[in-house]
Amino acid sequence: MSTETYLRFHQIKRRFGRLRVLTGVSGEVSVGQVLFVNGANGSGKSTLMRILAGLLAAEAGTVDYVEEGRSFDISERRRAVGYVAPDLALYEELSTLENLEFFCELRGAPRSRAAELLDELGLPHGRLAGALSSGMRQRLRWGWALLDRPKLLLLDEPFQNLDRPGIEQGTELLSRHLEGGGLAVVANPGPLEVPHVAGRIDLGR
Amino acid sequence: MSQAESTWAAEAAAVFVKDWRCEYRTRYALNTLGLFAFTTLVVVSMVLGPVGNTQVMANAVLPVILWLIILFAVTAGLPRIFVAEEETHTATALRLAATPSALFVGKLAYGFTVVVLLEVLITPLFLAMVQLNVAKLDLLVAALAAGGFGMAAGSTLIAAIVAQARTRSALFAVLLLPALVPGLLFAVTLTRAAIAGSDPGVELRMLLLYDGTLTVAGLMLFPTIWNP
Repeated sequence: MSTETYLRFHQIKRRFGRLRVLTGVSGEVSVGQVLFVNGANGSGKSTLMRILAGLLAAEAGTVDYVEEGRSFDISERRRAVGYVAPDLALYEELSTLENLEFFCELRGAPRSRAAELLDELGLPHGRLAGALSSGMRQRLRWGWALLDRPKLLLLDEPFQNLDRPGIEQGTELLSRHLEGGGLAVVANPGPLEVPHVAGRIDLGR
Repeated sequence: MSQAESTWAAEAAAVFVKDWRCEYRTRYALNTLGLFAFTTLVVVSMVLGPVGNTQVMANAVLPVILWLIILFAVTAGLPRIFVAEEETHTATALRLAATPSALFVGKLAYGFTVVVLLEVLITPLFLAMVQLNVAKLDLLVAALAAGGFGMAAGSTLIAAIVAQARTRSALFAVLLLPALVPGLLFAVTLTRAAIAGSDPGVELRMLLLYDGTLTVAGLMLFPTIWNP
């Protein structure tokens, strides 16, 4: 790889009890590119994404994330990724703005970034997260993922529950992210129109 | 694009404020702890009351009962510190955003303030209902503060351990009670000393040492417990 920022994983294996979910998955992606992971329900897409995010340990295999020439260990990688996934939830008792401001504090982003993202995503500031529709929750997940402008986005079913304008906006956000020097891994059970796809992994089943 | 920096203290403070904001809106922990403690308190005071108690018996037995009420209320309410994060799937976002040690301290501070609030509500009521006089009020406050901190530290650590298990409630009690026994013994002894007006002896220092040990153990163990 010529660029200094890349994600590379090799022979990732994972099983749950006797069920083998991942049996040696490898791939890589660098700046300006998308790695697309395809596969049926239960094929291990979300497991792979959780391993790449550092939320789940692989039984075997390696994950290397290098950002601007510096190699990140698992704890650094965990706090460096932007993550959109069905299993990511925010606090239902807090408003959209309070949620994003809280995570701005944790990730060291300016608090003003929360309002900026909500405006961009067309979400109301004062509504409780628990009172959002499923599509609005998905937009809020996008906001969460982009809070501190991470270089690496891990997007597991990123357009789930989004309407047509929401999908177009997500695609636009992803394009801007890639053009601004980011990289992404996108997982989806079916084909998806995403820009700059440089590689594909089919988990089958 | 670059990863921004957040300070450890700001993270811990943010977790503390977030937990209290959620608690203020749901009142889950306060209702659980408060109702449990108040019910137990009423039952105890009606059964024991001032009638039939000698001062010697009162000094020996009532501090134990006070701490048992606090202990079981804590056991009923504080596992939520981490269990709620797992059940509502907010733990994923927390794992990806928070420094583990800052998260532990923020949660510990929240748990401690909940316990203090419980003690502030329960202790005067208890003393009034059983008509117990306290000779050294400052020592009682010290016992409640140090004993409450130990309970909060133990509960926070054990809650983090059991949060990902399926049989959380049973496991929480099984793991928590042995961990809290030393602190409880010191706290009961100190409370007796406060009521009798005697010197605290070595127990206060032992209780503070116990609190410090639990906190350091929590800070060291939590990152391993919390992350895969």
